[in-house]
Amino acid sequence: MIGERRVPAEIGTVIVGGGIVGMCLAWFLAEEGHDVAVVDDGRHAGTIANAGGLHVQLQSRFMRLYPEMVPEFERTLPFYPRAVRHWQALASRLDEDIGLAVTGGLMVAESREQYEFLEKKCRREQQLGLEVEMLDRAALDRIAPYFADSIVGAELCATEGKVNPLLANQAIRRKALAAGVAHCTETRVTGLAQTSGGFAVETTRGPMRTGRIVIAAGAGAAELAAHLGLKVPARAEPLHMNITEATEPLIHHMVQHADRQITMKQLAAGMVVIGGGWPATLAGAAEHPTVELDSLIGSLSLAQHVIPRIGSLRLIRTWAGVNTSVDGRPVVGPVSGISGLFFAIPGDAGYTLGPLTARLVAHSILGRTPEMAIGEHTADRFNS
Amino acid sequence: MLTLVRIVDGAARAIRLIHHRLGTSAGRPMSIQHPQTCSHIEHSYKSGDPVTLDVEGQPVTARIGDTLAAALMSAGIAGLRETAGGERRGVFCGMGVCNECLVSVDGRQSQRACMIKVSGPHTVRRQAFQVLLPAQASGAAPILASDLAVRTPDLLVIGGGAGGLAAATVAAGAGLDVVLVDERAMPGGQFFKQPGAAHRFADAIAIDRQVAEGRARIERARRAGVEILSGADAWGAFAPMTVGVTTGAQSLLFRPSRLVVATGAYERGVPVPGWTLPGVMTTGAAQTLLKTDGVLPGRRVLVSGNGPLNLQVALELARAGADVAAVAELAPRPGIARAGALLGLTASALDVAWQGADMLLELYRRRIPVLYGQGLTRIEQADGSLVASLGERRFEIDAVLMGYGFLPSNELLRALGCRHDFDAARGHLVTWRTDDCETSVSGIHAVGDCCGLGGARAAADEGVIAGWAVARALGRPVDHKNLSAARARLVRHRRFQTALWQLFAAPRLHAERAEPDTIVCRCEEVTLGAVEAALSDGLPSIGEVKRRTRLGMGRCQGRYCAPVLAALLAERQGRPIDALAFFAPRVPARPVSISDLVRTGAPR
Ligand SMILES: Cc1cc2nc3c(=O)[nH]c(=O)nc-3n(C[C@H](O)[C@H](O)[C@H](O)COP(=O)(O)OP(=O)(O)OC[C@H]3O[C@@H](n4cnc5c(N)ncnc54)[C@H](O)[C@@H]3O)c2cc1C
Ligand SMILES: Cc1cc2nc3c(=O)[nH]c(=O)nc-3n(C[C@H](O)[C@H](O)[C@H](O)COP(=O)(O)OP(=O)(O)OC[C@H]3O[C@@H](n4cnc5c(N)ncnc54)[C@H](O)[C@@H]3O)c2cc1C
Ligand code: FES
Repeated sequence: MIGERRVPAEIGTVIVGGGIVGMCLAWFLAEEGHDVAVVDDGRHAGTIANAGGLHVQLQSRFMRLYPEMVPEFERTLPFYPRAVRHWQALASRLDEDIGLAVTGGLMVAESREQYEFLEKKCRREQQLGLEVEMLDRAALDRIAPYFADSIVGAELCATEGKVNPLLANQAIRRKALAAGVAHCTETRVTGLAQTSGGFAVETTRGPMRTGRIVIAAGAGAAELAAHLGLKVPARAEPLHMNITEATEPLIHHMVQHADRQITMKQLAAGMVVIGGGWPATLAGAAEHPTVELDSLIGSLSLAQHVIPRIGSLRLIRTWAGVNTSVDGRPVVGPVSGISGLFFAIPGDAGYTLGPLTARLVAHSILGRTPEMAIGEHTADRFNS
Repeated sequence: MLTLVRIVDGAARAIRLIHHRLGTSAGRPMSIQHPQTCSHIEHSYKSGDPVTLDVEGQPVTARIGDTLAAALMSAGIAGLRETAGGERRGVFCGMGVCNECLVSVDGRQSQRACMIKVSGPHTVRRQAFQVLLPAQASGAAPILASDLAVRTPDLLVIGGGAGGLAAATVAAGAGLDVVLVDERAMPGGQFFKQPGAAHRFADAIAIDRQVAEGRARIERARRAGVEILSGADAWGAFAPMTVGVTTGAQSLLFRPSRLVVATGAYERGVPVPGWTLPGVMTTGAAQTLLKTDGVLPGRRVLVSGNGPLNLQVALELARAGADVAAVAELAPRPGIARAGALLGLTASALDVAWQGADMLLELYRRRIPVLYGQGLTRIEQADGSLVASLGERRFEIDAVLMGYGFLPSNELLRALGCRHDFDAARGHLVTWRTDDCETSVSGIHAVGDCCGLGGARAAADEGVIAGWAVARALGRPVDHKNLSAARARLVRHRRFQTALWQLFAAPRLHAERAEPDTIVCRCEEVTLGAVEAALSDGLPSIGEVKRRTRLGMGRCQGRYCAPVLAALLAERQGRPIDALAFFAPRVPARPVSISDLVRTGAPR
């Protein structure tokens, strides 16, 4: 019975947060023989609500909005193509199909000016090692003959793709459980304190003692860090999603817009998923993620404007989920001064980054050299 | 004399039905030749005119004003939408909720055959799971919600049944500016449903009386000044007081001073092996087909479930010429014990007992057995028919009706944050209301079956009470005599309902009759086995089971499967069945097309 469950009293590693990062990390550590518990309150995970887009190319919309941030964006760019490769490697180790398809992503332009901006972005990304190219309208029509007349061309990034989070999350959870991970669901960590041998963890299902704690709690990380006197400016960012009835195969790429807030992709079963970062709200005392009318109309209107043929499809479901926003960069690895404490928070497009983030933190915990330098991405940057 | 009329009428219909099943058109002239060219001459049709539809390339005779579902069914076409797994589904709810009857009509996909009235020589196609897209389309310029037309009446009423009509009429009569929206082609709701094509009723006189009363109520609402928008879907409600409505011509936002929600109820689904086969439908669906279109769900019919509606519909079908094999009633045979339970409620109980006895007597005279304490255990497809089992007993029939009670359509109320409590006796959420039918959210009233089944009479009186409450709140004088008469009647109606349900008290079925490969979630084809597997893996929350199985993610928004899952979770994990155990209500409350949602209706 759900009411009677307790957490393990003593365990080697406690991971707070059972999203894509926490579950992958738990699996990776358990595989190496560690005893691991994942404690998760399952309330606000981006992992259970996200759109499954595997993002690589830079968002031209943000580059135009925040030109001063472009060097920051470029600093994390190398994470993304690598993250997609991690998804591919992960998929090959899972027992079930997770809808992973690296079929490329299109960022469409609606004016000459937008197209030229994409051209500049494309050149820069090529220098940084991305597989990107520009397509004029004729070339675009050859691979995606469904766009509105107003679209003049697109940037294609070959290594973008999609995955079905509903399938992937389950497959990963099964692997983690099979490796011996204790998964404590519907359990909230309410207190964290350093002890002589490690940490005392207070939860809604009893106390735990552990030698190592990993904060993979997304937006919940700020509160957890504060228990230990640390600052991590993670914020909850509720976002809106739409899904249509299933239709014949049409959209093979992930589709984004150079200057408008829209992302579209089609699931293998045929439904079209429409998002793009439109806001939702956290309603009431329970902070229930709730859809907003403005986002629903705004996102759907853009969808039929960019791909007119999907206008006839029926919207069958909308939902709101909580994304985590820090400063655009990951917060990963150890923290100076508190041994045994690690953070594991991906940067923007955190589902894409999930398996890679978990691998980097696992290596850091296991004392191996992570495949990418993470020194500049630790929580120390907020706590100097 | 009356009986004779009924028999002759019934026989004629049975013959028509058989003709249609044999693929002939019962001698109707085929007046219209070419479907494509006809949309512009639709206006020249009169209700009841014969018209030839092109259904999958075959001519099918229908009548203008029939529901498309009835036209298809009388032509023997039961299997409509195709599922992802390749099964065919047919009319199930008959009232726009289940989305099983989807067809493409004149190239427009995902039309609910049960909600569409034949208005011309349509081209009708079965629809695959993956709906087709138009070859060409031009999109509309991007808009924001602020570009949509906003209406700010004193009162918006959602639902044009007995409850909604009454509330709207009273409020408009008190001088308020009232708009009523209803998704159907005609107002009237479930009880006062208006037929499409006239003069084809089974029980002509009795039904005419009900239809006529409905027509009078609609007329009274119009005369009081209510603006009625038919064919208008209230697809979403947003706190504090915004309702999104699509009319097909325009996407509207309502921001009324006050809101009355009167969205009615639908029939509970009980998963039994074979319940997704075409030809298996709710009792209410069969009643609607008969009453509004004069079409039988099949020649030989088995009625099953719980409650008085089943007995009544069995009789209505029999009078119309159907061969009713039996009525399987879950409740035990009425005996001394339960008669005793009714003693405290004499007046109402007598009424119930009297009406019940009357129905039972006629069923007996017609040799229709009522099998007490029995429920459907399985339905199988046989050669051209269905075989339904009640335990060991097997019936070869054309249609199986399932009437296992009602569930309130409270999704808009829940989306608006109105408080709901789980009522164990009724097995569903009940809207918290004051004596004025106001919900926990000030300014939002709820009346009729959407708060829990109470019947058409109670719905109407609740509508009157809410109408006056709105008038008072907006500073209009109240007719206290009229109001207290409604309150007094409501007490009697509620007592009557209580007596009725005590008489028919039976264990409530959830998944007890399902087998591992029985589908629980009709839309996403999730079997009981899959749900059990998810349930036995850890102690998942309802949301987690949904994500693991996709249960409840389809077009009907979990209306049939969510209560079943909530009951299973309660049983397995000791979770309380509360407002949270049902899925959080999501927009859209009805599937709506993207184009309809963003249609400003104004020239750009
Ligand atoms: C609508 C939407 C669409 C998105 N689309 C995409 C996309 O297409 N592509 C992409 O790459 N990314 C996308 N994202 C972002 C992505 O979902 C997230 O970045 C990613 O899932 C984060 O994973 P995580 O494991 O870091 O954290 P989360 O999945 O957020 O998990 C953190 C978990 O920790 C729990 N927790 C927090 N505090 C506590 C505590 N005190 N005790 C116990 N548990 C706690 C939370 O409840 C939660 O379950 C989207 C996000 C949203 C909301
Ligand atoms: C299938 C069925 C069969 C019944 N048969 C009988 C019978 O034989 N005898 C008897 O005495 N009682 C019967 N009843 C009960 C009786 O019909 C109801 O008690 C009565 O109709 C309740 O009135 P109402 O106004 O609450 O709702 P309803 O009459 O159900 O009216 C609700 C209206 O709101 C509309 N609506 C719902 N949601 C939306 C939305 N989001 N947007 C726009 N419109 C919406 C519906 O389409 C409907 O027209 C039956 C009920 C049902 C469901
Ligand atoms: S039968 Fe038409 S929607 Fe249910």
